[in-house]
Amino acid sequence: MLEMDISLKKRFEEAAAALKTRLEKKLDRDFLRKIIAERGAGSFLKCKEMDSDMLASIVEKGGIAGVDGSTNSKGGIFPYIITLQQALAKHAGSGQELMLSDAFSPLLFEEDLSEDDYRQHIKKNLSILEANAAILAVEEFKPAVLLIDGSLVRFKIETSSLWEKLKQKALDNGTILVGVVEGISTGIISSVLDDVMPQLSYRAMDWEVLFGLLEMGEVLEMAPDLFKEGLRTCFARFSLDPKPIGIDMPEEQYAFLNQIKDLLFALTPKNGRGIPLWLDIIDNKVRITDAMMEGLLNACLGEDYAEYILAKRSKRAI
Amino acid sequence: MQVAGITTPIEVFVASRERRFRINELLIIDDPNQGPLVGEVVDASSYNRFIPLSVEHAFSDAHVVESLKHLGYSIDEDEINIAKVKLMSETSFPVTTGSPVRLPGFGEVKSFLMRGLREDGLLLGEIKNTEETAKTMDRELKGLFYIYSAGKPKRTENVPFILDLKSFHQYPHIGIFGGSGSGKSFGMRVILEELMKHRIPTVVLDPHYEMDFSASQEGIPEDENFKRHFSRYQIGEHIGVEFLNLSKRDLLSLLSAVSPLSEAMSSAVEVLHRRGDTYLSFSSRLEDLAQALEIGRARIDSALRQGMEPQEMERFKKMKELLENYQNIPLPSVQGISWRLRRLQVSGLFSHDIKPVKEAMLQGKLAVVQGPIWLLQVFSTYLLSNIYRQRRDYKDGELRGQTPGDYFPPFVIATDEAHNFAPKGRDAAPKGIITEIAQEGRKYGVFLVLATQRPTLLDETVTAQLNTKIIFRTVRGSDIATIAEETDIKPEEARRLPYLPSGDAFVSSPLFGRTVAIRVRFPYTASPHTVNPIDEIKNRRLDSDEKLLSLISPHLPIYAASFARAVEDINRRSDEKYEVRTLKEALDALVEKGRLKRQPSPLGDIYIV
Repeated sequence: MLEMDISLKKRFEEAAAALKTRLEKKLDRDFLRKIIAERGAGSFLKCKEMDSDMLASIVEKGGIAGVDGSTNSKGGIFPYIITLQQALAKHAGSGQELMLSDAFSPLLFEEDLSEDDYRQHIKKNLSILEANAAILAVEEFKPAVLLIDGSLVRFKIETSSLWEKLKQKALDNGTILVGVVEGISTGIISSVLDDVMPQLSYRAMDWEVLFGLLEMGEVLEMAPDLFKEGLRTCFARFSLDPKPIGIDMPEEQYAFLNQIKDLLFALTPKNGRGIPLWLDIIDNKVRITDAMMEGLLNACLGEDYAEYILAKRSKRAI
Repeated sequence: MQVAGITTPIEVFVASRERRFRINELLIIDDPNQGPLVGEVVDASSYNRFIPLSVEHAFSDAHVVESLKHLGYSIDEDEINIAKVKLMSETSFPVTTGSPVRLPGFGEVKSFLMRGLREDGLLLGEIKNTEETAKTMDRELKGLFYIYSAGKPKRTENVPFILDLKSFHQYPHIGIFGGSGSGKSFGMRVILEELMKHRIPTVVLDPHYEMDFSASQEGIPEDENFKRHFSRYQIGEHIGVEFLNLSKRDLLSLLSAVSPLSEAMSSAVEVLHRRGDTYLSFSSRLEDLAQALEIGRARIDSALRQGMEPQEMERFKKMKELLENYQNIPLPSVQGISWRLRRLQVSGLFSHDIKPVKEAMLQGKLAVVQGPIWLLQVFSTYLLSNIYRQRRDYKDGELRGQTPGDYFPPFVIATDEAHNFAPKGRDAAPKGIITEIAQEGRKYGVFLVLATQRPTLLDETVTAQLNTKIIFRTVRGSDIATIAEETDIKPEEARRLPYLPSGDAFVSSPLFGRTVAIRVRFPYTASPHTVNPIDEIKNRRLDSDEKLLSLISPHLPIYAASFARAVEDINRRSDEKYEVRTLKEALDALVEKGRLKRQPSPLGDIYIV
């Protein structure tokens, strides 16, 4: 036992060291900022909290609305699971809400799905729900700004026809679409700065490069040719949290970035995780909790059947 | 509104997004299985999940809230209100979670809010937080009186709190507890006003000289005139004790009220006081005996042998006789009794009787008896025993089927500082009679209204008999403990006691079976003591300034040299007693206040307007 523990500890230390080395190889902050600017990869912009006059003019043009989705799967081992999804659009001025939801299970599909396929389906379906909610929000609320939790790219990837529809509707109605990405998973910067970046087994992610690089209230606007998909992206830090967030906007509406960044800065709690509060509020409303899932399962399935499919894991006593 | 969380048959939580709850509010829970249930809010809280208490959370950013507000979203809308509701009666099963909850109509909760008829009750105030329910109330119950709120009187919008007079037969005594400034005196005043309205004969012992009902309260359009319904008597001035009617016990308690009697003194009074004694006969007996004891038997004998004027002879004979009868009484005892008696006499106690009080009561009036507390203690002992006996004799006679004697009505005894009249753990002259009335008064229709700021100091037997308790703000822990012990007040309410606003009170009465939170109505009449002493000083100073100005004005401008003549003139024209020095000081004070000017001149200072 003891010997094994020692070797385990050693292996763990090795793994941790890999992470640590990666961190230590991080480039100097000032150097990075300089080189990003020099190479024309992006430019740093300062934000100013939007004042009440500007806010009032946004309200005049329709105010802001937000869209967020949530998914939760419950049950036993695949395919004995039920998935519930919701997408909520909420307008800040009127408090009006639009909720779309869907429920399904692998057992509903005619052909057998692999677990990965199912996961893919969940992802795609949520995107569809959210895109539909966003389209409805644009139609119903006609907001000046529609904040969407998550990147806009995924709409384009998962459901390009709905994305086109959403974009067209937004352009027609004069609604600015803004995707707010909490977990950045792109690697644009290191791909541009490949020669100066330290050679690592995995290319550094954007969040990794930008961690602590931006000051609070600063936006890194990426060069237009770095991100093709008809979208423009930039990174921002709106709170004390050093981890940046991403902002997506359609190419056509990119000119509004200046106002949008100030708006988002004004709406983000400075001590928080850097996400506009309005999206947090919607997230809180749309979130499908485990308790809710359990309640639904018990109610619709009956407790005996629920018992039947629930995984043993979930009944662990300790 | 709906029931949330885990429920019990006694207590549930009710949550609402729109409605804020208020403590003591009544709610109706429509339990699908058990029917409508009435409950009372005992604790209320609000929660906003976006504004957590914890510092780690994201929320202290006022700017963001403000920006969102500009965009039309107010964070307050996400508030959740939670009430802890205690059911009026226990249910058989726990309340169904999710049951809808609503506000009651007056009819549904009338039995919890009102007992008896409005005409037969004392209108003490309003039941707090019942505005909504009050809207569905019968018209004749609405807006019956004024409430003092936010600095001015305003007509009540709540359900009235009515103490049924007829219930006194069952629950006869009222206790009023509360610290100074808690509204206790207002509460007492309101009760007395109500008793006057119903023409209930009442004796008020008033050590504070505040029970006058002739001045109307400012700011109330309606006027209740109580002038004809009460009389004030000062002990020694208007009323007193008839010495002839004093029993030995009465006399002992009177004397001991001046200052406690020693064992020897008490037994001396026992033997010296005879039936049919007047003040004169008793006091001269004491004096003669004192003199006799001082002179001594031998000298009296020898004086008698020498022969003297017949009158003188008579006195010496009497002294001899007294000495023979009472030779064992020590001189200091006699002297002690003698000075106590003199003090009572000087207070005027023996020059009057209690007839005026009895007459007032027979007319259904409120008789206010005023005097310093020590004298009040003594006198009340005599007065209360007397009228209580009279009522008891009448009632007992009636019960026994004998031809009843003189009629004497049922009555109420009310006093503030009750712990002085029936203190715990020590003796006081009136304690016996008050305890007796507390225990037996119900039978004879004699009721007590006792107010005190120290319930802990009130005799326990008496406290236990106070069925209805009105509890105002109380700060002392020991008093709160006493109150908690003696009433059905809930721990949540006991915790609120130190923070009750002035005029708010809890009423604990077996009639309601629960504690009712009330706000005492604004009295129609004002206490004579409501002028702020600081204002009094100010006003008085202003008055005296004006007076001096008018007296000095014929002499202005005045040189210091002519002060002597001015002083003479001023003192002659007024009752002031100025001297040159004090006049100069007074004028200098006026200069400081800018009322006069002082200029230096070759002849000394000159004062001009």
